[in-house]
Amino acid sequence: MSSSLLHPPSHLPPATASHLARQAPTTLKNSPGAISSSALQSVLAASETQELWTTYENLLLSCLRTRNDESAQQCLARLVDRFGDDNERIMALKGLFKEATAPDDATLDQILQEYDHILQENPTNIPVVKRRVALLRSMGRTTESVNALNSLLDMSPTDAEAWGELADLYLAQGLYPQAIFAQEEVLVLQPNAWNIHARLGEILLMAAKASDSPQRLAEALKRFCRSIELCDNYLRGYYGLKLTTQQLLGEVAPKALKQTDSEEWTIPATSTLRELDEVATQKLAEIIRRSSAGEKDWQGYSKAEIAAARVFLESQATATIR
Amino acid sequence: MTWLSKGTAAFGFVLLTHACYSAHEHSALQSHRAASLSSLASAQSTAVSPLPIDITIETIVATLIICLGLVSGTSQLRPIQWRVWAGKIEQEGEAGFKDSSGETEKDFVGNPFRLLESRPGFVDMRKQRKEFAAWEESRPTGT
Repeated sequence: MSSSLLHPPSHLPPATASHLARQAPTTLKNSPGAISSSALQSVLAASETQELWTTYENLLLSCLRTRNDESAQQCLARLVDRFGDDNERIMALKGLFKEATAPDDATLDQILQEYDHILQENPTNIPVVKRRVALLRSMGRTTESVNALNSLLDMSPTDAEAWGELADLYLAQGLYPQAIFAQEEVLVLQPNAWNIHARLGEILLMAAKASDSPQRLAEALKRFCRSIELCDNYLRGYYGLKLTTQQLLGEVAPKALKQTDSEEWTIPATSTLRELDEVATQKLAEIIRRSSAGEKDWQGYSKAEIAAARVFLESQATATIR
Repeated sequence: MTWLSKGTAAFGFVLLTHACYSAHEHSALQSHRAASLSSLASAQSTAVSPLPIDITIETIVATLIICLGLVSGTSQLRPIQWRVWAGKIEQEGEAGFKDSSGETEKDFVGNPFRLLESRPGFVDMRKQRKEFAAWEESRPTGT
């Protein structure tokens, strides 16, 4: 369980987060509060490890999420003691704490002004820039948030996290071409990220639904295939692959495969699509079967994903029988 | 490293120490014998007896046992191919990366690209708090 504290906890299910936060008082008591720099004490007391401060930061995030504000305050106090007030990350964490515990919108405006003030003195304080973008988004001021994010990306174009956030912002507004572009930038920076290939495939599927374009479907197909190439037995990849092949077989076969414009992504032949569909069905069935049977090496999948895949397969099976 | 492999390596070290000590004793005996003989008899060159063969055998066997102990104590090798490694993370999760004493290895981070989707630098804490509160209310009380 404590290994979860070494990684940022946003993805943890609520039950795990609440469990971690409930253990917070014990963790705080047992961990060293301040590391002294005298040689003698560092020999006697617990030594400072790299994981200690990462643990504090992630514990802070978990406590804030579960509204355990006292423990969060303690974590923050220890971090400030160690790293000082001028550290960029500490400034961002303090801002995060204030945002989370802000009682009303006026306080949020005040926090925003504080961020602006910090950025006036040091415009390259990236953690605070990111917090400002997140606060603007949280307050619903999406246009300003997008502008701020674009200026961040002008400043540092190799920040994959920022490109990912931009894609998410555009997607939330329904601007599919821009979202696809931003997500492709993430892939330029991290070409081996199998989950991002799957994410781009999902965005393309959404865009194809909105604009009814088979070219987008073909590209989505390629993306899902790539994500499976990068990761064996990737549940999300196979799910997306089956979804895409079903749509291509259902929609495009009636229309003649028009390849008049010079597309990069040509739609594959119907036989290929059928084969891909079969492989995807087989693999999905295998993953579901083995994971639900409790086999030893197949327990890494999330239960919710397995359940969704099962529902999907059953709906597909009834469709073919009909 | 498991206890068996540690024990084997330790036993090998003990054996090696014993062999080295025996060799040292042998050479000390040699020089002592040479010193005492030269004071009694003259012009009698005493043959230097070679190192007894069992000390040599003991040294070699000790080295082999140490190697055996160290090699058997190494943890599982991780996959080299990217897709196999990625597949292992997705399919087995934490359970696939345990070292020999059954604990998850320290540098296991799960899917390193997960952060590109959860984006901790942009976390919307207010939304997460609301969602958590909603989840708590929807749970049956008493759990």
